[in-house]
Amino acid sequence: MTQAQAQDFACSGFGEHKNPFGSAAHDAPTHEAVTIADAVRRCRWIAVDINAASFGLYFVAPSMERARLVPCFDSDFPRVSLATKFVSGNNGEELVRHARASTQPRWWSANPGTKSSALFETLDWAARIQPLVPDSSGIAFPVYADRSHCGAVVFFGHDIMLAPEQLHEIHARCFALFAAVAAIRPGSSGKVPSVSKRELECLKLTANGYTSEEIAKLLKLSVHTANQYLTNTAHKLNAVNRMQAVAKALRLGLIE
Amino acid sequence: MTSLAVQQQASRTFAARLASRGDLTGFLMELTEEIGADNYMLVTILHEQDRNEARIVASNWIYDAIQLAGHPLIAALAQGPLAAAPGSRPRSLITSRAPAAGPLNGEEARLLAVLGHCEIYSLQLNVGRQRLFILFSAAQAGQINVDGLMRAQLQCCYALSQVPALLAAASMRDPLSDRERECLFWVSEGKTTDEVAVILGVSSNTVNSYITQAIRKFSASNRAMAVATAIRSGII
Repeated sequence: MTQAQAQDFACSGFGEHKNPFGSAAHDAPTHEAVTIADAVRRCRWIAVDINAASFGLYFVAPSMERARLVPCFDSDFPRVSLATKFVSGNNGEELVRHARASTQPRWWSANPGTKSSALFETLDWAARIQPLVPDSSGIAFPVYADRSHCGAVVFFGHDIMLAPEQLHEIHARCFALFAAVAAIRPGSSGKVPSVSKRELECLKLTANGYTSEEIAKLLKLSVHTANQYLTNTAHKLNAVNRMQAVAKALRLGLIE
Repeated sequence: MTSLAVQQQASRTFAARLASRGDLTGFLMELTEEIGADNYMLVTILHEQDRNEARIVASNWIYDAIQLAGHPLIAALAQGPLAAAPGSRPRSLITSRAPAAGPLNGEEARLLAVLGHCEIYSLQLNVGRQRLFILFSAAQAGQINVDGLMRAQLQCCYALSQVPALLAAASMRDPLSDRERECLFWVSEGKTTDEVAVILGVSSNTVNSYITQAIRKFSASNRAMAVATAIRSGII
């Protein structure tokens, strides 16, 4: 078989795509279910690409009360590194406040002589913060995912190599990684309770500001039934009232 | 690598000083040109009782195009299946090939094509916890540089993070005060007015007035809707 024939054969087998893997790779869903171990591996690839010594992925708690970073994993997975202990303590507060309001990367450097420090200075849109870990250098990327998940992917190392034109690509990869992690990270309970279609309908209308009477009219139910549906939903979601049921359903992605 | 060098320019020119409304327009125009697009439209989505409304923050679409398309359609375009989060590969809508399914019907697609929006991309922007969308469109399919687009997406996120006051003004919605947000958060956790009062160490009347303020600012009809709006816009 000549090369041309082989190519024809390949084309007939795979439609218009010459490379069966090349085109598939483009459309590969970035939100595919992964395990935390997979996520650690993906994060390690990013770290290798920018020559970082270690890394960590943290969530920003939704509560206003706690300006703390909640560790998800770091480069010592399944154990927890010393750096993470600093980051999830008081040192992380500035980054939490920053990530809630801004997507710009933030960096810090222990001493201005290091390679990474000179490099960070050249990055547009990135600015300096107080060191997350004493005597270290590093860069933190704020990341966000569906259902108002917010977090940061942090890389540590005195020899980080990150060209200004590489910044967007690295940050984009952090976003994709975080989206995958947020999708597998179990919510408060781990499994989503089974709420019936009718109950969800009532809950959705409640979230849109309708009262029980209005819901009853819209769905052609009695007010009593509508209320019963809402009570059931609240019960299933382990919520004490309607407001909490709406909040939980939105955060779990049961309603949009 | 020349295209990359050019692309860095908008970032360079505006990284140092992006302060005014004019700077934002300048930045978006340069970015649009760099990625080979013709038009941009930056929108926030507001959840009304029955539908989503697009509030346009910045745009160089002609007025008639916006009027003919209408705000609900723009919201559907921006927020629909087309929208790509940062880090995922954007997909375009080609309006000249009448789509069978999707946010547009054949007539609407034809209309957009006639108005010079033959290929449309929608990118989700995360500006802190706030979510916006930017539409880039071009008069010819294939004209927009997709790699450039992904880079532009993050540049927009960075740039808009620089001007929070501008965005708040553009969405024409009073931002909640810290106290109002805190009250709403505890309400979303299922706490009653009296419980919130104890947690925050203020009187029940004060808590109620904070919540009423929040409901008014969101033009919500009750507490449940205010809580839902706050979660949907990512502030609690």
